[in-house]
Amino acid sequence: MVLPAKTARFFQETGDVAKFTGRFFSQWFRPRYEVTEFFRQCFVIGYKSLPLIGLTGFIMGLVLTMQLRPSLVEYGVESQLPAMVGIAIVREIGPVIMALIFAGKIGSSIGAELGSMKVTEQIDAMEVSGTNPFKYLVVTRVFAATMMLPVLVLLGDAISLYGSYLGVNIRGITSFRLYWAQIFDNLAFSDVIPAFIKTFFFGFAVGIIGSYKGFHSSKGTEGVGRSANSAVVVSSILIFIIDLIAVQITDLLGFN
Amino acid sequence: MNKKISTNIKLGIFVLSGMVFLILMLYMIGKNQNLFGSTFELKARFRNVQGLRPGNNIRYSGIQAGTVKKLNILNDTTIEVVMLVDLKMKDYIRKSAVASIGTDGLMGNKLVNINPSGEPGSLVEDGDVLSIRKPVNTDDLLETLANTNHDVAIIAAQLKITVQRINNSTAAWKILNDESLPQNIHSSVAQIRTATAKAVDMVNNLNTLVTGVKEGKGSLGAILRDTSFAHNLNEAILKIKNVSEDADSLTSELNKVVQQFRDESMNGSGTITALLKDSVMAKNVTKSLDNIQKGTEGFNEIMNAVKKNFLFRSYFRKREKQKRNESVQLPAIQ
Repeated sequence: MVLPAKTARFFQETGDVAKFTGRFFSQWFRPRYEVTEFFRQCFVIGYKSLPLIGLTGFIMGLVLTMQLRPSLVEYGVESQLPAMVGIAIVREIGPVIMALIFAGKIGSSIGAELGSMKVTEQIDAMEVSGTNPFKYLVVTRVFAATMMLPVLVLLGDAISLYGSYLGVNIRGITSFRLYWAQIFDNLAFSDVIPAFIKTFFFGFAVGIIGSYKGFHSSKGTEGVGRSANSAVVVSSILIFIIDLIAVQITDLLGFN
Repeated sequence: MNKKISTNIKLGIFVLSGMVFLILMLYMIGKNQNLFGSTFELKARFRNVQGLRPGNNIRYSGIQAGTVKKLNILNDTTIEVVMLVDLKMKDYIRKSAVASIGTDGLMGNKLVNINPSGEPGSLVEDGDVLSIRKPVNTDDLLETLANTNHDVAIIAAQLKITVQRINNSTAAWKILNDESLPQNIHSSVAQIRTATAKAVDMVNNLNTLVTGVKEGKGSLGAILRDTSFAHNLNEAILKIKNVSEDADSLTSELNKVVQQFRDESMNGSGTITALLKDSVMAKNVTKSLDNIQKGTEGFNEIMNAVKKNFLFRSYFRKREKQKRNESVQLPAIQ
């Protein structure tokens, strides 16, 4: 059976990613653990991304509120603005938008970093010196990304809700207490928990795709750029695919 | 090394703040669903819950008091709503309270309203079943509105006919077009006004009269106000009654006498009849009376002679003196 070259390459890459993921898990469970490196990556991936995520979240909350207001005023349910914005941010927009920003920042940086290490043969040097490069470079980064994105999304949600509060107060006057109460009156566990769980998968996708692209980059400095670029594109697409799967699962479980 | 510690501290703060927000969010949601904090159960049985769902709010007199825990279908016409109510509300909700299904706003979520009925009752206990009020159903509302609309349509049709008739009637338009009519009405009204003024005067006079009578002025007033007069009147009436009774008996006596007299006259017996019927006797009697008169005159002469006689003069003088004394003493006594 002969497949078109592009299709063949696509399936081959998918298989490679799957193999890479399997390798990640097998390495992840096996000691010794690179704890110090993991925390350093957490700091770089999580903490250093907070300003970007925070700013995006803030603007998103503010803009979403201001954009939703006219249509809600038209229906005479302006008082439901906090509820609507709260559900939109917590359920969908917060996790997805922040994961995309995260993919843009972290996916590309992991891809470029590992790619340049690969092309400058630092990874080979590591292997020679007795350090497990996969464990040291890939496992720590992927795991850090998986763990940090949920935290980032939570904080981003909080900042975003605050931005939305300011947005509500541009045209009307709502006390923070009332706004807060309205948001949480209309939220349920079924809104928060699935959204929180899917952010782990988003983080994992960003980390694993960035690492795969970097680990398999080739052809010199050109390859580094390409792997960084494709890391962002593929992880972004993967985020949407995961989101689609997540919504199907939550719907199946009856959380919607 | 110092730099590493500081990065770890920053990372720690970052992760912790994220976790704190997550826990806060979950707690807030849980608090709204009464998962934390102490609650107790109340039940109410409805025929139709109109889309109420677990998690919908319970309001007691408009205050958020809890959430719906679950809905049990007991049988084909009864649905039991199990409510989780805040324990703080246990001190206020009475067994006589009434539950009803309402809507949050016009289009909002369904909720259960618990309202006090105003009747006395002990405080609720865990698992009590509250009585219900039939919920206002929008369908019923619309049905009623449809009926009302129908009625309004009929009324409008009738009104249309009435208006058409008025429009077609020449008499009505004649009245409306008659320009002298307002003038006449105006003068009539003026006359009515003077008549009313007079009536008012009359009423005023009557009023003063009545007040005067009320205050006891005038003879009528005296009669009406004087209580002793009534007493006297009563006595007089009593006396009149007695007199009339006496008169009654007298009449009956008289009647008897007359009866007797008549009987006797019929029979011709008895002295009186004899007297009446015997003309000779009447003559005799007349004669006797004449004689008696003569006799008396004679006696009178004799008596005068006696008075002048010396033998009896002193006696008569004494008598006269005594008489005079008595007549002088009598006024002194009075």
